[in-house]
Amino acid sequence: MASKARVLRLRPLIPRSCSRPYHSYDHPPPPGPFNAVEESILAAAIPHVPSHGFTYTSLSLGAKTAGYIDASTNLFPRGSFSLVHYHLYTKRACLAQHKDILEPLDAGNKPLGTGVKVKALTWERLMGNREIIHRWQEALALMAQPSNIPTSLSELAALSDEIWFLAGDNAVNASWYSKRASLSSIYAATELFMTTDKSTEFADTKEFLDRRFKDVQAVGSIVGSMGQWAGFTAHAGLNVLRSKGVRI
Amino acid sequence: MASRYTLRPLMRSARCQLQPSHSQRCFSSSIRRYEPTSESTNHERTTHFGFETVSESEKEARVAGVFSSVAASYDVMNDCMSLGIHRLWKDHFVRSINPGSSSSSQPWKMLDIAGGTGDIAFRLLQHCDEINHSPQSTITISDINPAMLDEGRKRSLATPYARSPRLDFLVANAEHLDTIPSDSVDLYTVAFGIRNFTNKEAALREAFRVLKPGGLFACLEFSGVTNPVLDAVYQRWSFGAIPLIGQIVAGDRDSYQYLVESIERFPKQEEFRDMIQDAGFLVPGKGWEDLTMGIAAIHKGVKPVELQATQ
Repeated sequence: MASKARVLRLRPLIPRSCSRPYHSYDHPPPPGPFNAVEESILAAAIPHVPSHGFTYTSLSLGAKTAGYIDASTNLFPRGSFSLVHYHLYTKRACLAQHKDILEPLDAGNKPLGTGVKVKALTWERLMGNREIIHRWQEALALMAQPSNIPTSLSELAALSDEIWFLAGDNAVNASWYSKRASLSSIYAATELFMTTDKSTEFADTKEFLDRRFKDVQAVGSIVGSMGQWAGFTAHAGLNVLRSKGVRI
Repeated sequence: MASRYTLRPLMRSARCQLQPSHSQRCFSSSIRRYEPTSESTNHERTTHFGFETVSESEKEARVAGVFSSVAASYDVMNDCMSLGIHRLWKDHFVRSINPGSSSSSQPWKMLDIAGGTGDIAFRLLQHCDEINHSPQSTITISDINPAMLDEGRKRSLATPYARSPRLDFLVANAEHLDTIPSDSVDLYTVAFGIRNFTNKEAALREAFRVLKPGGLFACLEFSGVTNPVLDAVYQRWSFGAIPLIGQIVAGDRDSYQYLVESIERFPKQEEFRDMIQDAGFLVPGKGWEDLTMGIAAIHKGVKPVELQATQ
């Protein structure tokens, strides 16, 4: 509570444009990266992406649909990357609306565990790419351009943070980092796999995702066991030395 | 840096003392014709001419004097002063605007203000043709100074657009573009020109008027250097070397003294961005893009579409 109060007091010092580093129930979410006009053009441009890709063409068709003209696309200094950014941002914001995962309707069932929710939300986010998956490699290429990498990475970090937050994880130890890092790597790998998946309803992607989660669990339990073994051995060694009269 | 600030008042006072002989020496007949009015009307609105304060009507005449005298040596001098970098800036400016976008069959109607020599206009047309295949796009080159426009006409003969209906010339004051109807232009550009306008706010309002809803205002202009070390070097270059180069190459020291003073006087990035917003434009992102650490900057604004159209 005390720390929260301090954070609130510091709020005016934080520039308005920078997004908040925590999730709040008491304050409205910070404004997104786009203003109203930009949003109207981008929202109108997204339906053109399946046919024209993440390109300048989609952007100017969107501008025209929104009542603007070609010249208005100069509102986006980063050109077609703005479309990619908008897609990442909106699909992330959509996750909070999946009430069926977050709060299951029938009261008789016990609520889903955190791990199950994380898996389900990750899958929902991947399905957000379903319409444009044949264009997603273009988007990945744009995201990998040096000037766009910071935005792409922070969007990935924001996504895994969002998923863990929505799943109800409130760990405040070092696992905060390892959870987000492992989920980010799983998500990025699965997304890449999905771009080449030709199976019906992305069944192969689903399997791939399950295997990655199992891998992380296996690695996590191995790391845990190793730690336990190392701790026990060190402890035993210490006791052996003590039994020989070493004063430690 | 420190020496710059301490020296400036000295420089200014020295200039004030020298003023009478100074203005007679540098500007020929047109200036002397205007001198009586500036003396007789004390209550007239004043503005900056370099570091001097002059009446608004006098500034227009003096700027005209400067550009009439530099028109012929314009390119050579730009190359000498910017070491050729002004060409890169202009190319980048046009590329970033991306005129004549290919997704539409509708050609762009462009207006290049203060574009006397056609530097920007020919680049815009070339980009329309060669990158976006929009051979219908047209441009009007407007300048207040007929000498600069003549230079542009002469140069247009060497381009494929000579005497084509896609290119036309207009002598006009950017603060009163009476011959251009409202909501008629896709793109309004002004490169290294707005600095010399007597009333910049009026010019921005006029730009807002002539642009179509959604149309783009794009301005390439000198600005504030962001790095203090480079700024010190740059100040030394502009106040030390540029007037000297002007004297040697163009035989006209005072015009180039005016040039560097007007650069120093022009609003810096944030301030000019706010002026564009005050005129009613939406600015993309932070509102400007620095070129060469802020020696020049590209400012853009988009005229918003009114919402009742969709209701």
